[in-house]
Amino acid sequence: MAGSLFINPTAFEAGLQAAFTARSTTSEGQAAAFERFAHLRFPNRRVEGWKWSDFNAALRARALANDEADDIAIAPSAFAALAPLEFRVVDGKIELPAEEMPDGLRYGIMDPVATIPELETHPIATLNVAMTRKALAIEVKEGASFARPILIRHINTGAGFGFAQTMLRISAKAKASVIETYEGVGAGLYSHLLHMVVRDGADFTRTVVQETGPETIINAIAAVKMEEAARFAQTGLSTGGKLSRHETHLHFWAPDSSATINSAALVSGVRHSDFTSEVLHIAPACKARQLHKGVARDKARNVFQGKFHVKRKAQKTDARMTANALLLSDTAEANHKPELQIYADDVECAHGSTSGALDADALFYLRQRGLDENQARALLIEAFVGEVIDNVEDDGIRGVLAARVSNWLAAS
Amino acid sequence: MLKINNLHVTVGGGNIINGLNLQIPAGEVHAVMGPNGSGKSTLSYTVAGRAGYEATSGSVTLDGENILDLTPDERAAKGLFLSFQHPMEIPGVQTMSFIRTALNAQRKARGEGGISAADFIRLVREKAKLVGLDDAKIKRPFNVGFSGGEKKRMEMLQMAIFEPHFAVMDETDSGLDIDALKMVGDVVNNLRGPQRGFLVITHYQRLLEYIKPDAVHVLAAGKIVKSGGPDLARALEKSGYEQFIEAA
Repeated sequence: MAGSLFINPTAFEAGLQAAFTARSTTSEGQAAAFERFAHLRFPNRRVEGWKWSDFNAALRARALANDEADDIAIAPSAFAALAPLEFRVVDGKIELPAEEMPDGLRYGIMDPVATIPELETHPIATLNVAMTRKALAIEVKEGASFARPILIRHINTGAGFGFAQTMLRISAKAKASVIETYEGVGAGLYSHLLHMVVRDGADFTRTVVQETGPETIINAIAAVKMEEAARFAQTGLSTGGKLSRHETHLHFWAPDSSATINSAALVSGVRHSDFTSEVLHIAPACKARQLHKGVARDKARNVFQGKFHVKRKAQKTDARMTANALLLSDTAEANHKPELQIYADDVECAHGSTSGALDADALFYLRQRGLDENQARALLIEAFVGEVIDNVEDDGIRGVLAARVSNWLAAS
Repeated sequence: MLKINNLHVTVGGGNIINGLNLQIPAGEVHAVMGPNGSGKSTLSYTVAGRAGYEATSGSVTLDGENILDLTPDERAAKGLFLSFQHPMEIPGVQTMSFIRTALNAQRKARGEGGISAADFIRLVREKAKLVGLDDAKIKRPFNVGFSGGEKKRMEMLQMAIFEPHFAVMDETDSGLDIDALKMVGDVVNNLRGPQRGFLVITHYQRLLEYIKPDAVHVLAAGKIVKSGGPDLARALEKSGYEQFIEAA
């Protein structure tokens, strides 16, 4: 590739192109994706879906340092007590578990996908397609289920970038639980693209915990295809990163499926968390439940954008979305955009959004009973996000999530 | 025990308590009665230390110590308990764990050890029976979905567990049926002792059938306008408060 594909590239974009050009193993699809990205660029606040989360502004000034991780000591996961089957993706480099594969599970390293149709106009997904070297592929075979969760730890360390892809197939009537953690104090861009299908009658639980360092810029995208009578239950918890955006694009292709997409964000300092989702109802009689709880203190900001898009044929859709913001300081911010786009006439869809401070009456009540101010505030904050945490079915995962929330409260 | 001396309180810039004097010696139960808007709840919130209830002059002492400069939790640690007129529902807060945290916070502030989970559960079961709250209720998030009467029972449960040194009961009787009134009487009468005091705020004489007060005071326009024995409550029931509103 001669010359710059970008018009007036930023330092970061120029660095990306240099890194891409220097690679010897890129496919034609990746070259095309990179060209598309050079046209799309990092999204800025003039792009509607990104108006509160300006990746261009956050990355513009960043210089691109080395792409590769040094050998780093990796501490045990917060989920270690659940004896998970542990995969690691360190700055995009995949490490498979050393132990023997359980029956019913297949995994390996594959070439990344060349395109994801529903994300073709998504700038960072497009960049991910161009830049990801190898993808982690996991398949849960038909009817299989495991007592142990699958843990995928995304650890980013450098000042450059990390790109990762995961392809996940939950076969018919299978049952699986995947935990994704985002860790490390890398000061660059980390991008992950999860591309998955939940087949007929399968039951899938996804837990996402994002606790990266104060300089990390992260975009994690899940594109989920739901087949018939399948179940999807997702809980996201975000406390880290300088700028983080977790996206869920879930499509109901066949009837009688259900999805729960819950999230809690607790941010302090100047951190910025964004949970964005779109649930597309193509088939009838599917059910979606979404609850977001955002806590922000200092000058931090929580963004929630949720959209239910119900096509004409998706009759008997039952979809409900709630977003609640708790603002702990005058300078903290919450931006909510709940959206319903409905073309079917026999549906039940609703959304609600609230924001407020801690309840002064409740605070006084707790303090009258002997709790000091910090204890009382912590109890009310825990109670606020508790609705998301308590909804987690697995006792072990719920316990770890509750402990992460307590950690955040103790640290901030 | 509790001494209120020439207390003046403003709320949102308005003078609500205007030179109130009240002394409740250890071991006694005093009732404060008064019409709507006379300052009864302001009195209870001021004693408990709620923000926004500003004592502009005067003092409130508990065992000789001025408590007006203490935070609400410091007052709670001294054994001061307020039974709320309108108890909160606090979704997401588990009742048992909250009450245990509160009890341990009070004990810690007094330099006492914490209560073990097993001892605590035994204690709660015993007291819950006394106030008529079943197991399912105390396993729920705090007061969520409770009726007005059940919330008052939850106040009494906490009072029975904390065994406060001094309790202010702000219209605990409002909205209660006869059985619940009797329960409130039982809780107070079980706790009565030479080292405890109670300030019972009420509109009606009815509760005082179950809790025999040592003294009754009439509060009107932010000060005590008449004090007497239990007969005063019965007299008020007949004559109403009008004479005091005019006098104040």
